[in-house]
Amino acid sequence: MERSMGLQGYGGAVGAAALCLGFLTLAGCGSETKVTRVDTGVVTDLSGRWNDTDSRMVAETMVKEALDYPWLGNFTAAKSRQPVVVVGAVLNNSHEHINTQTFVTDLQRELTNSQKVTFVANKGEREEVRNERKEQAMYAREDTQKAPGKEIGADFMMKGTIATILDEAEGTKAMFYQVDLQMVDLESNAKVWFGQKKIKKVIEKKRTVF
Amino acid sequence: MNCFVSRPTVQAPARWGVCLSRSLAISLAFVVLLAASGCGSAGKHYVKADISLLTHNYQGADAAIKQAEDEYGDKSRVLYGMDRGMTLHLAGDYKQSNLMLEQSDDEVERLYTRKVRTETAAFLSNDNALPYEGDPYEQVMINVVKALNYAMLGLWQESLVEARRIDHRLNVLSDRVKDKSAYREDGFARYLTGILYESTGDVNNAFIAYRKAYETYETMKGWSRVGEPTQLQSDLLRTTDGLHLTSEFAAYERAFQGVPWQTIQAQQNLAQVVVISYNGRAPRKEDQFLDLPISMDALQLVLINRALTNPNTPQNRAADSVLYGLNGRVVRVALPKLIPQPTHVSVDTVTLDGASGAPVSVRTEPVQNVTALADKALSERLPGIAVKAVARAATKYAMAEAATRGSQSAAGQKHGDWVGLLVSLIAHGYAVASEEADKRSWRTLPDQIHLARRWVPPGHYDVKGVGFTGEGSSRSRSLSLAAGQTVFLIQRVVQ
Repeated sequence: MERSMGLQGYGGAVGAAALCLGFLTLAGCGSETKVTRVDTGVVTDLSGRWNDTDSRMVAETMVKEALDYPWLGNFTAAKSRQPVVVVGAVLNNSHEHINTQTFVTDLQRELTNSQKVTFVANKGEREEVRNERKEQAMYAREDTQKAPGKEIGADFMMKGTIATILDEAEGTKAMFYQVDLQMVDLESNAKVWFGQKKIKKVIEKKRTVF
Repeated sequence: MNCFVSRPTVQAPARWGVCLSRSLAISLAFVVLLAASGCGSAGKHYVKADISLLTHNYQGADAAIKQAEDEYGDKSRVLYGMDRGMTLHLAGDYKQSNLMLEQSDDEVERLYTRKVRTETAAFLSNDNALPYEGDPYEQVMINVVKALNYAMLGLWQESLVEARRIDHRLNVLSDRVKDKSAYREDGFARYLTGILYESTGDVNNAFIAYRKAYETYETMKGWSRVGEPTQLQSDLLRTTDGLHLTSEFAAYERAFQGVPWQTIQAQQNLAQVVVISYNGRAPRKEDQFLDLPISMDALQLVLINRALTNPNTPQNRAADSVLYGLNGRVVRVALPKLIPQPTHVSVDTVTLDGASGAPVSVRTEPVQNVTALADKALSERLPGIAVKAVARAATKYAMAEAATRGSQSAAGQKHGDWVGLLVSLIAHGYAVASEEADKRSWRTLPDQIHLARRWVPPGHYDVKGVGFTGEGSSRSRSLSLAAGQTVFLIQRVVQ
């Protein structure tokens, strides 16, 4: 009888202590990782920041605008050849570290594949190509060497900016992106085409969750 | 022992076996309390990092922080990123530093949403159970260090992204904090963004930033322990003149009489050297324990205990937990206390020795007092921390009492006394042992930040200082400057 009471005492003590300490372990829940493969066209807005969907939307809009507007037809009719374009600086004037290269590459690819525009290597790429030619001149078989001075000069330079306007209060953020691209005639400095895409997002964060 | 034990009051006869069980149980209780008292090596990695910084071994300082990653735990991921971001910045690994700081920045944003269960757990233990999100000035410093990292990498457009983020963060803070005397703007952060804008040719935005910096230094000089730098006055004169803002220029000219300055045109063919010096160590925090007795014998116990021991050591905290747990009539409240670690350097001098002409001496001036910011941040939060700590202590006490009475009743008349004693020891002892202030802060920051700007003719320079960061000698650097170029020289001086 005494022994059973002793065990009861233990049980009560342990139970009470467990009650106290139980609360303290409430937060100890683990996390799990789940990976799902999705189509690259699926919109995945996770943080509200610039993402692949934005990049793709900008590229699609710009390609459509670049091909639809008359600058291309005018040039082809006047010169009887495709315009040659070089990509200049696309300045990031936004609040995010955006890799502008992704939509510029998309744009180059679509325009090149449309067989209506020829792109030439930009400033950074040219250095690498010229170094390769120099090395060919020293080390490659003579009949396969590529001679210098035969580069194609561009007719137009495509340059632009990506800017944001950000407003935030009480956990709600309004982010407005504006991507502007323009085609500048390298001979006359005339701006022959403007492409623009605007994206607006509202990101709401809850202050408290369970 | 009876002197400390107010309950149970009835001594019960027992057999040897039961006595052994009691002894074992009480010994186990002591072990539990010792474990709950937080015996550990908290903060030792900062000592190691400081020793490395003292000898300008920045890689060593970074390694000390990296080795302690597990000590930070899940709740201090932001702090780990901040500390590593700073040591990597000093070690010259700017890309990796930005990676760590970006993670902290993202985490801070995520922590805007508070979790009820986490808050509850913290209420029943202590504030260290809450995820650390940093004080507002620390959050701004994340973007400041990132901006400097990008500038050091020569990625000026990316550093301007950080400048815009600083502007946005401070705008949101100003909207949220209504008290004009509180930390709601940052003079140094604004000043740095101005320097970055001007270095990339955006004089208009530079002027806006300089003006905000000037206004902030003016507004906060009552507590920030930093007045507006003379260089900032020159910058305001130069940019208002360059932008043909005649009325603003006239007002600044009247206010800054005798301040030397050059026109933008005069500086067009020069190169700019910006010296930033991190001096001293950021303040650390200690526990300040308030032991509140609620009976006369508890008062005696507290007075004797406080006269004999300092509760700020893990061993003494464990002893306190046992003593107060046995007594059951002491409520402990822990509040954070700031311990400054001030610099002894009032001005840094960097010498630029060019191929031609006399050496140029560049003297820095204080632009940020981190200790003052930490002091202000803590004083603004302390009333809230204190109210929460008292409420938490009262709740813990009530729960311990309930657990003791419940266990006594469950154990019955015969064993209720010692079972009650055991549960009281554990519950009250745990309430005391688990009480600990949140002492986390970004401790790899300096006590003060100094800055100097100097425009010099393009050319090759041998630069001499006392603690240049990055790889190579901490006392000398070689610079090749082109017209219109801006170069940052960063120093770390622990003294």
